[in-house]
Amino acid sequence: MRALPLWIRFYAIAMTVFILTPLAVVVIAAFNSAEYNVFPPPGFSTRWLQKAVTDPEFIGPLWNSVVLGATTTLGTAIVGVPAALLLARHSFRFKQELEAFLLSPLTLPHIVLATGMLFYVNMIGLGSNFIGLLAGHMVITLPYMLRTVYSVYAGINRDIEEASAVLGASPIRTFFQVTLPMIRPGILAGGIFAFLISFDEVPIALLLTNVTNVTLPVSILSYLIYSYDPTVAAISTVQILIVAVLLFVLDRAFGLNNLVFTSR
Amino acid sequence: MQEQAEYGAGPHRDIARAAPANLLARPRTRIAPHLLLAMPAILLLAMFFIGPLLVNFQESLRLDKSYPSLGHYAKFFGDTYYLMVLGHTVLFGVGVTALCLVLGYPFAYALADAQGRWKVFLLFIVVAPLLTNVVVRSYGWMIVLGGTGLVNAVLGRLGLEPLELMYTWTAVTIAMTHVLLPFAVLSIASVLEGRDRALEEAALTLGAGPSRVFREVVFPLSLEGVVTAAILVFTLSVGSFVTVLLLGKTSTMTVAVLIYQQLMVVSNWGFGAAMGIILLALVLASLALHARLRARRA
Repeated sequence: MRALPLWIRFYAIAMTVFILTPLAVVVIAAFNSAEYNVFPPPGFSTRWLQKAVTDPEFIGPLWNSVVLGATTTLGTAIVGVPAALLLARHSFRFKQELEAFLLSPLTLPHIVLATGMLFYVNMIGLGSNFIGLLAGHMVITLPYMLRTVYSVYAGINRDIEEASAVLGASPIRTFFQVTLPMIRPGILAGGIFAFLISFDEVPIALLLTNVTNVTLPVSILSYLIYSYDPTVAAISTVQILIVAVLLFVLDRAFGLNNLVFTSR
Repeated sequence: MQEQAEYGAGPHRDIARAAPANLLARPRTRIAPHLLLAMPAILLLAMFFIGPLLVNFQESLRLDKSYPSLGHYAKFFGDTYYLMVLGHTVLFGVGVTALCLVLGYPFAYALADAQGRWKVFLLFIVVAPLLTNVVVRSYGWMIVLGGTGLVNAVLGRLGLEPLELMYTWTAVTIAMTHVLLPFAVLSIASVLEGRDRALEEAALTLGAGPSRVFREVVFPLSLEGVVTAAILVFTLSVGSFVTVLLLGKTSTMTVAVLIYQQLMVVSNWGFGAAMGIILLALVLASLALHARLRARRA
């Protein structure tokens, strides 16, 4: 195998600097001792970090975001996996149309769905509660679950499932003991996407949350609009840390490469 | 009479007589059981995707007491300010898309062809920002570009004048490109990764130079990923408001930020709904363009 040309390597390093700089400055700013963001920081201090992890303005929303992300992931898997199995294994009339319909939330700007959801939840009497928020997040994450499960399932040998059926296993048993273990990488990748998208989503959460179920990105955004002190850097650092640990664990357990390029 | 004896009398008779005939005939609506697998997903989208969009459209036609009315749309298209914002939004989307493609392509190439440790490293770099919130990333750019930020600190050390970067199109474009770059890189890399490398070997064997191999073999093969990346980045850039809201000001207005203001600040919901429909039309237009390009290539 040929090695990459030298200039591409230098280019990749330059891009790495570009990509990581804004994240690095957030972490540096979190340990700033001054009252406001200034570069370079005049001194080192952990007081903003202490303030952030004890501030109910951020800790409550952090928990809300985790709960919402986990519920969205589970809901999307329950709704999305059967649909992906149908699309991968069966052919029927309007199949292409169905696939296009199920993937269509991908192309919709979230702010438009958020606006529509705001009118809609009030019209059907749901109000700004968790159900509306969950439904909105399931809609936008469904295409990701469909795609990843579909691509894994399409590459799996059909004979194994048929062998299971021939040997007398019921369709339900075949699904849980044969199909499910084989499509697990797809569900996992789709689940990670679903969690992260829900965890980071702003427009729907901004319009559909109330004081009790506000999410972390929305609470950081509202804080930033009014003030510019390093507390936000501190809570962002905590979030970066959580995600970095998660990413490291995932890479150790499954290999990042296999999760991103699911087609292979 | 005979039938009546068999199935009994009264209203039940009709049902009883109809039943066996129906079982023998081909059922009129054939919903095979496996089609039910898609039912939960279809119901979810019907209730919480199509429903909200329809209600949004309906609300956009409501002006004060009159319904249906095209008043909100007339207001938007009759005012040069709103038309200018729409124009800026399109230009902004095109600019960010172009930057993401130009900056992202070589990186995607490196990612697709890298081996071993390098590959994991590059992949980590691309995915890492995706995992941090768009609010956090925009905030990072506020610190980099701000008045007492990193760029001005470096310029100060070099003895240069500080720059007024915050709240300009430059700041918004840089930050937005940074936010959307991973989408461009991953879309292009996944296509480059799956390409048939034997074609390049063949071209090299037949005497083509590396740059010619790239221009005439590799690039055409990757066009599918480039187009996907362009559509994705354009859609996301015209639809996102967080980055523009935090790094921009009234002079850097886009349709998405206008919608945010109508809903959160001015509370003119109907006008916000109408602008949502206009934004949706813009995205659908870009998708239609995509479909036409694909059809022409095929």
